Amino acid sequence: MSTETSHSAPPQSAFGTGRSGLVLPAILLLLGIYLSIGIITMEVPDGAKQPGPKFFPILITIAIFILAALLSMQLLRNPEPVPDDRQGYRSYSDWKTVALVAAGFLAFALLLVPAGWLISASLLFWTVAFALGSKNWAQVLAIAVVFASVIQLAFGAALGLNLPSGILEGLIG
Amino acid sequence: MESLTLLLEGFSQALTPMNLLWVFIGAFLGTAVGVLPGLGSSMAVALLLPMTFSLDPVGAFIMFAGVYFGGLFGDSTMGILMNTPGGSTAIATTFEGHRMAKDGRAPQALATSAIGAFIGGMIATTLVVFSAPKLAGIAVVFGPAEYFALAVFAFIATASVVSDSALKGLASLLVGLALAVVGIDGISGASRFTANVPQLFDGVSIIVITVGVLALGEVLHVASRIHRDEKLTAISVSGRPYLSRSEVREAIPAWLRGTAFGVPFGVIPVGGAEVPTFLACGTERQLDRKRRTPKFGTGAIRGVAAPEAAGNATSGTAMGALLALGLPTSATAAIMLAAFQQYGLQPGPMLFERNADLVWALLASLFIGLVMLLGLNLPFAPLWAKLLLIPKPYLFAGITVFCGLGVYATGASVVDLLLVLVIGFIAFLMRRYGYPLAPVMIGVVLGPLAETSLRNALMSSGGELSILVGSAITIVLYALLVAMIGYTLWRRVASRRRQDV
Repeated sequence: MSTETSHSAPPQSAFGTGRSGLVLPAILLLLGIYLSIGIITMEVPDGAKQPGPKFFPILITIAIFILAALLSMQLLRNPEPVPDDRQGYRSYSDWKTVALVAAGFLAFALLLVPAGWLISASLLFWTVAFALGSKNWAQVLAIAVVFASVIQLAFGAALGLNLPSGILEGLIG
Repeated sequence: MESLTLLLEGFSQALTPMNLLWVFIGAFLGTAVGVLPGLGSSMAVALLLPMTFSLDPVGAFIMFAGVYFGGLFGDSTMGILMNTPGGSTAIATTFEGHRMAKDGRAPQALATSAIGAFIGGMIATTLVVFSAPKLAGIAVVFGPAEYFALAVFAFIATASVVSDSALKGLASLLVGLALAVVGIDGISGASRFTANVPQLFDGVSIIVITVGVLALGEVLHVASRIHRDEKLTAISVSGRPYLSRSEVREAIPAWLRGTAFGVPFGVIPVGGAEVPTFLACGTERQLDRKRRTPKFGTGAIRGVAAPEAAGNATSGTAMGALLALGLPTSATAAIMLAAFQQYGLQPGPMLFERNADLVWALLASLFIGLVMLLGLNLPFAPLWAKLLLIPKPYLFAGITVFCGLGVYATGASVVDLLLVLVIGFIAFLMRRYGYPLAPVMIGVVLGPLAETSLRNALMSSGGELSILVGSAITIVLYALLVAMIGYTLWRRVASRRRQDV
């Protein structure tokens, strides 16, 4: 979540205006670097036939670097058009809501095993519904718990999926 | 008429109570996600993929078939009632469809689109039944070089031709290919890009990627917009959901013309399903202007009938391309291909020989699914419209929980949950900056096939590159590809020139 886009309309002349899309070539660059390191450090078993396991990744990595360069050049030359309405409100992403949802999912991933499905899934449902604009938090919480329980029953009992019960171990089947 | 007997056998396999139930569930879910704003059949298939592993392959594919077509039946509902198309294939329907709805003819518009989708799907599927097995005849000559040519064809076609920006499409494709090379290399046994994390030795699970790219990324995208976009209101549906005889007579030629536009586009991926819908709609408008009383602009029934038939006809033949050539032309088709691979099947020329019973059961269930969808959609359109009333926060909260469930259920690994979040976030950024997502899926699914066939071809030739263009099939495929790229370039230059004037 290192990307930052200011909500207030930035001044027209700023270099970053319309160029926040550079974040994707940057991701491609990181990906290319990761692949390069992987290719260099890869241990190829003896007797591997040519072309070996490095062959195809090398092609991909070269293509990734070329595309990252081309995409950045394109953006540097022609930045995305800045919307005319100076409010600029509708065209900017709502990073706060995105961060809330992402944080909710991260908490779910980390809490699932220690706290159990029921608690972590209810929390996830509640966080997302809250982030997307539900006002009545008590009602949402009730729906969240019911939803998580139904899934635990339907998938745990009926289909035999093993969902962790966490700290509620023993309380529920 | 060998196809007919095989198809009848397929029907006998598909018409068991259990399989009928799967078709029904698939059709039901497909329509539901199609109607619901912001969801598409690709997301439904992505979320269903983890759940289907406890099913036998026939049941799973029958259900996918229902979802696949169901998404197309539903997506025009929102366009017609809210003037906001549910997916890119519904844009063309929206113009005249919403005018009809404003005119008080919402049920007729919905019925026209449902029947159009039915007719388009039926004709296309029939064509697939009779032509796809012919392709099985050339199965024997498909070697590594031919498979590599096929994969390259799919890569370039989806990445550069289908997307608006060829650079962005190719970047998406490379992200998919990069994800596909993670894990133990099947040929040499070398561990690649795993950073010694044991969970990655088997590669990044296809479920993690599909759920991340198509479901969680979509949730994040909705989150980034939900407090920005204006609230939409739907026109209520009331009145007779059936068409009068004169309306049917008016719509029939448009349904058939739309189907004719849609059929070829499923096999040659020159622009996804939205191109034929626009072509069909445009042709109807041209024809309409020549009539004594032009109807376009006031809610023409033909403006709804033609694009809907075109859209579903495209998906019908796209299914044929997937089965007979192993060529996915959309994200949904790519996920179905991944599902085939999970069961150890490789769609393509060999499928009709090796797994004939499965293929024919699937084809038969496409017909059953279409009939069932018509039955679900035609009389119950007003009920489906009620789905638009579900509050978005609950809807997407539920989907997020399902993302977590699906990913955890298949691997029972927290690493997968963290990975899906990272992939989902990158997918969101890609959407935010206009990168297409289908090439990612196609890269992930076809990447291993491309790599193994390329390496096998080069190994057998001792590194000689000429083997890649050594047979007639490869030359034809590459020539087609060049012709397609040429056509796209010409079309783009032409449309740019038109804009300048």
